[in-house]
Amino acid sequence: MQTLIQTFMERRGDLLTALWQHLGISIAALVIAMIIAIPLAIWAVRRPKMAEGLLQLTSVLQTIPSLALLGLLIPLVGIGTVPAVIALIIYALLPIFQNTYLGISEIDDSIEEAADAFGMSRMRKLFKVEFPIALPQIISGIRTALVLIIGTATLAALIGAGGLGTFIMLGIDRNNTSLLLIGAISSALLAIVLSALVRWFQTAKPKQALTVFAVIVALLGSGGAYSAYANRTETITIAGKLGSEPEILINMYKDLIEASDAHVKVALKPNFGKTTFLFSALKHNQIDIYPEFTGSVLETLVKGNNPKSMTAVETYHLAKQRLAKQDEMSLLKPMAYNNTYALAVTKKFKQEHQLETISDLTQVDSLLKPGMTLEFIDRDDGLKGLKKAYGLDVTAKSMEPALRYEAISKGRINLVDAYSTDSELRQYHLAILKDNKHFFPTYQGAPLMTTAFANKHPKVVQSLNKLAGKISETDMQEMNYEVNVKNKSAATVAHNYLIKHGLLEGSN
Amino acid sequence: MTTAIEFKHVKKDFHGTNVIPDLNLSVKKGELFVLVGTSGSGKTTSLKMINRLEPLTAGEILVNDRDTTTVPVRDLRWDMGYVLQQIALFPTMTVAQNIAVIPEMKGTPKKEIAKTIDELLTEVGLDPEVYRNRMPDELSGGEQQRIGILRAIASKPSIVLMDEPFSALDPLSRQQLQDLVLTLHQRYGNTIVFVTHDMSEALKLGDRIGIMRHGDLLQVDTPSAIAQHPVNDFVRDFFGASRAKNVYDIYVGRVGLVQGYLKEKPAVADNRIQTLDTEDTLRTGFEALANHDYLAITDDKVVQGYLDRQTVMAYLSMHENG
Ligand SMILES: Nc1ncnc2c1ncn2[C@@H]1O[C@H](COP(=O)(O)OP(=O)(O)O)[C@@H](O)[C@H]1O
Ligand SMILES: [Mg+2]
Repeated sequence: MQTLIQTFMERRGDLLTALWQHLGISIAALVIAMIIAIPLAIWAVRRPKMAEGLLQLTSVLQTIPSLALLGLLIPLVGIGTVPAVIALIIYALLPIFQNTYLGISEIDDSIEEAADAFGMSRMRKLFKVEFPIALPQIISGIRTALVLIIGTATLAALIGAGGLGTFIMLGIDRNNTSLLLIGAISSALLAIVLSALVRWFQTAKPKQALTVFAVIVALLGSGGAYSAYANRTETITIAGKLGSEPEILINMYKDLIEASDAHVKVALKPNFGKTTFLFSALKHNQIDIYPEFTGSVLETLVKGNNPKSMTAVETYHLAKQRLAKQDEMSLLKPMAYNNTYALAVTKKFKQEHQLETISDLTQVDSLLKPGMTLEFIDRDDGLKGLKKAYGLDVTAKSMEPALRYEAISKGRINLVDAYSTDSELRQYHLAILKDNKHFFPTYQGAPLMTTAFANKHPKVVQSLNKLAGKISETDMQEMNYEVNVKNKSAATVAHNYLIKHGLLEGSN
Repeated sequence: MTTAIEFKHVKKDFHGTNVIPDLNLSVKKGELFVLVGTSGSGKTTSLKMINRLEPLTAGEILVNDRDTTTVPVRDLRWDMGYVLQQIALFPTMTVAQNIAVIPEMKGTPKKEIAKTIDELLTEVGLDPEVYRNRMPDELSGGEQQRIGILRAIASKPSIVLMDEPFSALDPLSRQQLQDLVLTLHQRYGNTIVFVTHDMSEALKLGDRIGIMRHGDLLQVDTPSAIAQHPVNDFVRDFFGASRAKNVYDIYVGRVGLVQGYLKEKPAVADNRIQTLDTEDTLRTGFEALANHDYLAITDDKVVQGYLDRQTVMAYLSMHENG
């Protein structure tokens, strides 16, 4: 509970932004769904066969799993807010359509007959008689849709539309229950509050209801107008993958770019998605820049065979060259640290046995008690290959990722696999052994953008190149530690680093 | 007197099944015409063809001498009130809003509508202050149908159609509302077509009555003419069946209608004549005849005629065994 409150206080700015995004997506989807479903239902009332068909269609749409639906939409409309809103609209159609249709078609025949007998026009009958009678049912359909939308909108984070889902995803990603809870609770509260508001609309006097509705629309509208105003200066959108490390990096990018050009504003989309996702967003100009790893480029983004045992420099050049050729993209100069698989031992163990490189391990074969993730043990580019490459003779216990750090700090094992920038290395006082035979592929981070963008923004390129060769593995471990364990904001951590290393002038 | 509504060789089929073969009928202007018949005889269908809720299969209906199909349906309906058995007040509108439905569409000024509403409510014995803003579900059945009637006559239509408007009401409300219809008819002089399956209601209300069976009009005539000269056994039986379960509960007015009144005041002392209202029962009349020789039957204090013992006995003997 203590940590929950603490996390909440630290993140309330982010929470407000996420809440606003969540609300925006949800309301947009709801309003559009109403605009589609209500007239459609009115039209269908006089065509029972069509209505039957439409009811079935909307129910089928609703049974599509949300993840599958998002997946289906990506090739059609890309990623971001648009597919998220479309998916939400699709889910909201059924309850609104069904309730409007039933609400109107279940009106007593004698009432309809009376309206006709008094010479009411079709429209007048609809608005004066049918609509008011069906209204309670229509509103209850809208409420059902709203609750559904707000819940499902947490998935919008998966495709870069932001919202409260980012908290949930971050929570899962960082194994941080507080974040997860904050996301989930806020989304539930939002559903309850909005649902109550809609119910209030139903009972409120028309004038009050109209006023409140106007205020809400004005608020959302002025939010939109403000962002349109803010967009008058050029906005560069920078996204990052899931996790603290990319978030720290893009905050550095933002600081560096904005410091060099007052007319440029950088919009950040942290935790935007996974590798291929971001790459396609970049391709479709939905984002302008994101940090990518040299190793990931060669492995998943470009075509071609990869020679074994490349140095870091070779890896970077090959990645840069292939990106330029195949995708007309520019991979700027990489930072120093290599975020790859690594083997780590405690600092104490390292000193005792004077270990520097992985090769050194062969001297102490018999003393080793490795505990490693099942995945690492089983991969050709993991322990299997490593044993061959270094002539190492060990058998590893398979352990859950989180448990192995615990185990090594208690001395039950003394060798673990790790990612070289894991904050746990810092947390548990571990040291990495140098991969002197370049067995592990190199994963150096560097800003990726389209060549067209790079040519058009030489100042941006210049600013970002300031990071080339900077940030060591321990720097990164330290910063990840600050964000993940100490719960500092990525922006602060990034800013402090830049100041400390003289990359950014100024006092704040 | 001119004709308000005229059916000319009207034929109606539902999905190829004939319901009304050939209907011919004129309803006079200012008349309260009652269409009576058993359930399924085609009364509702006939009524709905007048305001075009049902299209005709063949023939034509003239309203104020114009073929209804040549009049814009809206104009036709705005000048034709409609009262339903189900009452069917609009449940989301207040009493006042319900009454204002047609005047509002016609563009009558709001002030004038408000004034009309208050007048009408007062006229049917409902205090405007109390009832104006009530919702329909806050009213009793009888009150609801009063509003139903006001809604139909609010814009002073020349014709009002009523389809069994009182058959779902309790006997007391029914009687009050029947009186109300007579009063309003008198006041506004409109043409009313009133559908019912209840012969006693027909006899009470109708200037003329049309008796329907299987889509045919068997007889169209004044109540007393039908009572005295039923065209066939069906009409006679239908008329007979209209008697109250207990013959003594029948109004004395009915006896006069059926048997005929003595028109001359009998030459006896005034204390030998008991004055009764048309709606006093035969039981009261029978008791009165124990120590009087004649009954003077009055309606609104106006003497309609006189009955003697023989006439009453004749009626009883004719109807006691059914
Ligand atoms: N919409 C309809 N479709 C088919 N048959 C109908 C319809 N309306 C009425 N009928 C039939 O027409 C006949 C007359 O009905 P109706 O005019 O309602 O009689 P009443 O009002 O005298 O009880 C009945 O046999 C009834 O079943
Ligand atoms: Mg009927």
